[in-house]
Parts: sequence; structure tokens; C-alpha cells
Amino acid sequence: MKTPADSSPGEVCLLDDDASVLRSMQYLLASDGIAVRAFQKPEEFLEYAATHRVSVVVTDIWMPGITGLEILARTCAITPRPRVIVITARDDLAARATAMAVGPVAFFIKPFNDEQFLAAVHDALAQAKQ
Amino acid sequence: MKPGEHRETIDSSREEQLSLLQTITMEVAAAGDLSSALEVVLRRVCEKTGWALGQAWVPNQDRTALDCGPGWFCGNTDLKRFRAASEEAHFIPGVGLPGRVWKSKRPAWIEDVTLDGNFPRNKAAGKVGLKAAVGIPILSGDEVIAVIEFFVQEARAQDERLVKVITAVAAQLDLVMERKRAEEKLSTTNEILQSILSSMADAVIVADPQGNFLLFNPAAERMFGRGATQTASSEWSQQYGLYLPDRVTPFPPDQLPLTRSIRGEEVNNVEIFVRHAKAPQGLWTRVNGRPLRGPDSEVTGGVIVCRDITEVKKEEFFLFDQSRVLEMIAANASLSEVLTSLVLLMEGQADGLRCSILLLDQDGKHVRHGAAPNLPETYVKAVDGAAIGPRNGSCGTAMYLRKPVVVKDVMTDPLWADYRTLAEICGLRACWSTPILSPQGEVLGSFAMYRQETRGPLPEELRLTQIATHIAGIAIERQRVQETLREREARINLAAESADLAFWVIYPEQKTAWMSDKGRVIYGFDPDLPLTRDLICARVHPDERAAAHAAFDRACESHGTFESEHRLVLPHGRTRWVIVRGRCLADEHGNLLELIGVTIDVSAQKQTDLQLQIQREEMSHLNRVALMGEMTASVAHELNQPLTAIANNASAARRFLERGNIDPALLQQLLQDMVADSQRAGEVIRGIRALVQKDKNIARSVLNLNAVIADTLRLVSSDVLLRESAVATEMDHTLPQVEAAPVQIQQVLLNLIMNALDAVESLPPAERRIIVRTRSLNGEKAEVSVRDFGAGLPKDRPDKVFDHFFSTKQTGMGMGLTIVRSIIEMHGGKITAENAPDRGARFSFHLPAARRDSRSEAA
Repeated sequence: MKTPADSSPGEVCLLDDDASVLRSMQYLLASDGIAVRAFQKPEEFLEYAATHRVSVVVTDIWMPGITGLEILARTCAITPRPRVIVITARDDLAARATAMAVGPVAFFIKPFNDEQFLAAVHDALAQAKQ
Repeated sequence: MKPGEHRETIDSSREEQLSLLQTITMEVAAAGDLSSALEVVLRRVCEKTGWALGQAWVPNQDRTALDCGPGWFCGNTDLKRFRAASEEAHFIPGVGLPGRVWKSKRPAWIEDVTLDGNFPRNKAAGKVGLKAAVGIPILSGDEVIAVIEFFVQEARAQDERLVKVITAVAAQLDLVMERKRAEEKLSTTNEILQSILSSMADAVIVADPQGNFLLFNPAAERMFGRGATQTASSEWSQQYGLYLPDRVTPFPPDQLPLTRSIRGEEVNNVEIFVRHAKAPQGLWTRVNGRPLRGPDSEVTGGVIVCRDITEVKKEEFFLFDQSRVLEMIAANASLSEVLTSLVLLMEGQADGLRCSILLLDQDGKHVRHGAAPNLPETYVKAVDGAAIGPRNGSCGTAMYLRKPVVVKDVMTDPLWADYRTLAEICGLRACWSTPILSPQGEVLGSFAMYRQETRGPLPEELRLTQIATHIAGIAIERQRVQETLREREARINLAAESADLAFWVIYPEQKTAWMSDKGRVIYGFDPDLPLTRDLICARVHPDERAAAHAAFDRACESHGTFESEHRLVLPHGRTRWVIVRGRCLADEHGNLLELIGVTIDVSAQKQTDLQLQIQREEMSHLNRVALMGEMTASVAHELNQPLTAIANNASAARRFLERGNIDPALLQQLLQDMVADSQRAGEVIRGIRALVQKDKNIARSVLNLNAVIADTLRLVSSDVLLRESAVATEMDHTLPQVEAAPVQIQQVLLNLIMNALDAVESLPPAERRIIVRTRSLNGEKAEVSVRDFGAGLPKDRPDKVFDHFFSTKQTGMGMGLTIVRSIIEMHGGKITAENAPDRGARFSFHLPAARRDSRSEAA
């Protein structure tokens, strides 16, 4: 098996099924100088993760096709385990419980504070580099 | 001697002749019969006339010749020889003196027989000197009953007077003899009567007014055990053992038929039971009596004729007892009781007869004790449970072979090899057994007759057997049927009880009915009340009775089923709601036999239904509250997405600006996105408002759905392109217009189209297509369907998707199919979801066509 190629250092994988939200997040991260690889479909992300080293993942937990929990579970199964930042439109118990199950480094409810979000992403990237 | 010499004797005097006549008449009258009377005449005539010899001639049996009868002659013993010659002679008509008289029926005179050519005895007469003779016929009517002849020992000329005298005497003789013959005849009649009375089977008794028996024939002696006695009529009942038909009360003497007939009554058909030492079993007699009356119709006595009717009575009692056994069967007496009575009845019909009834076990292989009240218990116990077979005694073999088995001697018959000792102990010698068969020819058991002597059955015993097996067959068959019925009933009852159902059967022909115990409780009938169809029908509430009857009658006519939900009115006015379901059962000829059915008490359910309705209303309210909650979450989500995008874009733009190296094209893009997301947020808010504020503020207008679809597709066109999908439309241009809120319908269409796009997303781009189609339903409704070629809906219940507030697909502006459905229903339409025949899902909704008058207002 081929050793997975490292994604560019500081690259963040971004998952959201809502196209406009995805694009806006892409712009937001780019505006702070963070390299972003965006995925609207979880499958595409998982496919990418299979051949590349993924250090930080920002994901919405409600996406079509497979459940948020499943994505998280699969993401956590990636070695080494990426840092996960969860963003969700739903602030409810189910969403929190789902997120807590995988122990994300940060949990954001849409709409969120851009400064805190970007700080969390930077922290995660820094941890991944250690 | 000269003829005149004796003339004075004959002529002596008229008085003399009269005296002769008188003497003869008296003596003849005293004579017992013709013979002695003739003797008297012969002697007296000879004595008076001095003639020497007189003889009588009587026709033989067949009246072909005259035989010599009595004779008389005077002391001259020589005359004996002539007499002897006469006794040997027979004369045919016309021959000799007697023959001549017989033939001519007139007196004849011969002056000298020795010179006569027609006198065969002339030699004998010559030897004893007899010369003159006279022959006189004795006539009865025109018939000669005898000829008398007289002889004298000298030749004489015819003496007319003498002839007249003798003829007169002969005539006298005839009168006397005629009377005698009448007497003889009477005596003969008496004898015949006597012999009839002696030989006849009926008893005949005659008594005079004082009660003295004048006649008591042998049959009467046999019947009443003794002959006539000199007892007072008040003692007769006791003397002769006469009882009333109850067989114990002595017959009241003053009511006895003979007593009554002596009193002058006519008595008809009085039955008397007679029991005396010579007839200890008793016998039955039927008596008729008549009074005897004298010339002035005064009662001179009474006569009774008694007929022995014991056999008739026996048969009558036998029939009566048979019918009693049948009544026992009908009254459902236990089988053992019935069979015991039957056996006793049969045993009572013949002396020394013992009977038994054995039953065939349900297994068809063993015998079971039935009834044998007079057989030893050892025997009964030994037989109970024995196997049937080709050599198993009389009964086991009869049941096995299904035909009568006659064993005349159990000690020698091979069939009894295994039972000989037992039979010996019990003193049984002959045993005849006949199988008892059901009407279908199935063996039910056997009836056996036992005797202590070796012999076969008499015709009478065969007749009894036939009757016994017939009755036993009825009893056993009936018991089996009842047992089956009882079992069936018990089973049905058990099933009914546990199912809380009432089972019932109505027999339309008899109009009777049967109902399970539970049914009687539901209908409020006493457990023992005999049920009829009418009783059951009368329980139906008057308001629903007609409908229930109609359903019932229809089912009866068509031999079909019926169902009715109605109220029952119970005693004391209580009511109950029931559901009744029934079915007709017919025989193979299509005749209606019975209606069977169940009744379910749904009163409690009805009560629950009422409560449910209340609850449903409450639920509906709660649902609305829940819906609001869900909608809030939905709205939050729907608004969050565009707001997040706007915030992100704004934040990004600010940062780019802060860095100062922003590409104007990028900035433009960011701003454009923000505008688009703001619009999207606005749409969501409008849609929510439209939904929540319903008909109040959402203005409805007459729409062409084709146009709304075109507008909506324009809205989603960028999404379609982005997703590399294709949307095809098949529009019906005759689609009727509808009256609806355009924004809401657009919401619905957006939702359905976005869902469809989501569904095909995982397919290769070439297959990512959806079809939107419109169709007119008879011009009354406008139908829209959105069909995709994706994975389809849950197979078991495609329309389940409407129940979930959120589908797992939450892209776009979808607000959940629940809201979609409520919008459609608010417009008086209907939405359905189904899997398309090959693959994919199809959502279809239709809305009612707008009213014509509103079409002109089309926007």
C-alpha cells in the first residue's frame, strides 16, 4: 500500500452539503490565509482522505447520503486521527451528543463568530504540526 | 175258514174301533221312537182283528229297497219261520206285497198269498199256512215312511172296512211319528248347539233372574277356573277371581256384565282381568252381555259371551312399554337407563328369557357393557372390554361379522370355546346375538338373548330381537349424536368465551335458535330459555331493526353472509352496541339449513371511540403545537444556512479588504453571493409566513400550474446546472386552472424538485434526470407529478416520508414534506408518494380546478 501523501501543511478539509455555505467558508478561511480543500459530498472527502494525509477537518454534521455521525466515525478512523471542528445549523441535544461522541476540538453553531472560528482552525493546525 | 167268520170281530162295533184307535194313539204317543210305535200298532191291530202276524217294512238308507222292521205274531211258534224268512228278504219297489204298497202308496189285499205270482215268500207262507194278507202304507206327506203287512191263516176276500181301520191307525201313526221326528230333530239341534258351546273358545254363561247358572260352557270353566257353582251373584267376583283393568281391584259385583244383563241391560265390550289358581299370571277377557226375554218380553235371564283377549292385551302392553322406552330416549334419559328398560321389557315377553345389550367401543374393536340387569355380575364384568372377532362368543362375533349369530349350545359351539367355563358358572346354555346397526349401517353394539336350555330362537323371539335392536339402535345413535353435539357445543362455548364472542345458530325452518352462554349474557336471555329467531330479533333496537332484518333476509335469500352493527335493547332498558356477522349454511341440494354467526359486544369499543375522538381533537391541538416547534427548528436551520453564508462572505470580504490585496472580481463574487443568500433567506421567511398565516394573508389567485412550474424551474436552473442534472417537463396544455397561493405552490414545487435532484445526485451525470409532468383529471383536477430515477422510497410504506418532519435530505429550501402536504391539503388537494414501476420515486399532487366564475380573474 502506498504511503499516503501529506496534504500541504496547513491545509484544512472543509465539508458542507450547502453549496453557498461551503463557498462562503472557503472564502472566509482563504481570507485568513488558510489553504482549504472543499467537499460538498462526504464520499468525495473520504475518497480523498484514503490517499492523502488529512490533519484538520471542518464539517457540518447534517449532510445527505450518510449521517453526520457516520462521517465523523469514518473521519476519526483515519490514521493519524485528524483534528475535527464541527459546525452545525442545529443547536440541539442530538447534534451536540453526536459531536461529543467523537470529541471534536471545537463545536460551532451557525452562524458563528468568525474570529473564534478562525482561531480554532489555527489552533488545530498548530496541534497537527506538533 | 170263511171270510165272514171273523167279520164280527172286525165289525164288532164302532166303539170297539174307536177304542182301538184311542189305545193305539195313546200308546204310540208314549212310544219313544218309530220302531216301538210300529210294534205297538202291529200288536194292537193283530190282537183286535185276530190276524196272526203283522210286520213292518222300512226303506233302507238310500231308499232303494225295503228292509224288514219290527214284527209281531200270535202264540203260534210256526210263524217264527215265516218271520225269519221275512227278515232275510228285501223288496224293491213293486216287488212282493211291501214293494207293491211302497210303489203304489196305496193299501193292497191278497186273498191267498200262496196263489199270488208276485209274492216271493209264498213258499214260506205256505209252510205255516198263511193265506190272506193286507199291506198298508204309512205316509208322511207324499212319502212312504213304512209299510205294514198283516197275515191270517185262511184265504179271505178284501175287507174294505178293515183296510179303512188299519189305514186310519196308520195315519195316526204318521201324525205321532211326525211329532216324534220333530222332537228328534230338536234334540239333534240341541246336540249341535251343545257341541258348539263345548268346543267354542269363547265362554258362554247363561243365568236365570235368580242368578242360577243355566249354562256354563267348558270354555267358561277354563276361563274362570271352575264350573258353575251355586253361589250368589254378589260372590262371583271373589269366586272366579274377577278384577277391574287395574288388575288389583275386585270387580264390583253389581257391575258384572252377567248381573247387568239379568237386570235387562245390554252390555258391550267390558274388559275384565281374571286371575285364579289355574291362571296365576291372569288373563284378560272382553265381555258382551244380553238379557233373555220371554214371550211378553219379561226378563227370563241373562247371557254373556266372554272372549279371551290376553294376547291382544299383551301386545298392547308390549307396544305401550316400547313407546315408554322411546319416550325415555326422547326425554334424554341416560343410555344405561334406556337400555336397561329395554332389556327388562324384552325379558318380560317370554318366560326364562334373559337378554343383554353390549356396545361397541369407539375404537371399533372392543365391547362395552350396555345393559344386562338379570345376568350374573361375574358374566357382565368378564364380557366388558372383551375384543370382537370371528370366534369371540355370540356378541363379539355378531359385531365382527355384522350379522346375527345363533349359538344353540354354548357348550359345544366353537365360538364359545373361550367362554365355556364362564357360561357354565352362570348357567347359560344358548345365546343368540344380533348386531345393532346405525341407519348408516355402522355397528353400534349387539342385542343378545340367553336361555338355559339348548335351542334356537322361536319366531316370536326373532320378532322381539328385531324390535329390541331397532330401539337400541335409536337410543345409542341418539346418545352418540348428543354427545357429539355436547362436545361441539362445549368447544364452541369455550372458544366463544375466550374470544368474548357470542355464537349462535338460527334454524330458519323451525324458527328455533341456539346461542352460546356468552351470547345469552350479551342478549340478556336466561340460560334455560328456549330461543327462537323472533326472540333474538326482538332484542334489536327499534331504530335499527328494519335495517338489520333487511340484511338478514337478504342473506337468507342469497344464501350469503350478512353484517350489521346495531344496538340491542336489553330487559330493564339497557342498551348495548353489537356487531353481528352471519353466514348461511345450505345442504347439498341448496336448501337453507341454518344460519350461524357471531355477535361481538362493541359497547366498550364504542365508548373508547368516543373518548378517542376527544383525544384526537386534543392530539390535533398538540400536533399543531409540536408542528410549530418543529417549524421553528426548521426555520432556524433554513435561515441559518443563508445567514451563515452571508456572515462568512462578509467576514471574508472584510479580511480581504484589511489585507488590501483584494481582487475586485473576488469582492464582486462575495457581494453577489451575499445578495443571493439574503434573497434565499427572504424566501424562507415569506414561505413561513405564508404557511403560518395561512389563508388570511396569502392571497390566492387563479393560476396555471404549468406557468408556476416554469417559474420554479427558472429559480432552480442554476442548481440543476451545478449538479449536472437535467429536468424534463411534460406539460398538459388542457390543464385546468387552479385557485391557489402562488408562493406556497412554488414552495411545494421547489421542495419536490430539490428532493428529486438530491435523489439522482449519486447517479452518473447522464442518468441524473427528473421529469415534471402535468395532467388534467377529467378537467376537474390538475395533477402535477415529479419523478426521479434515484433509489426510491421506503418499500413498505412510500407515503411514510410525509410523516417525518425532516427527511435526511435537507438541502436547498426544503421545509419538509409535512409542510408540503399541509399546503396541498389546505388547498383542497391531495399529495401521494410512490415508487415508480422501474425505479425512483414519484410525488404527485392534484388541486381542484378553479371555479369557472373565478377564472376570469386570472392574474
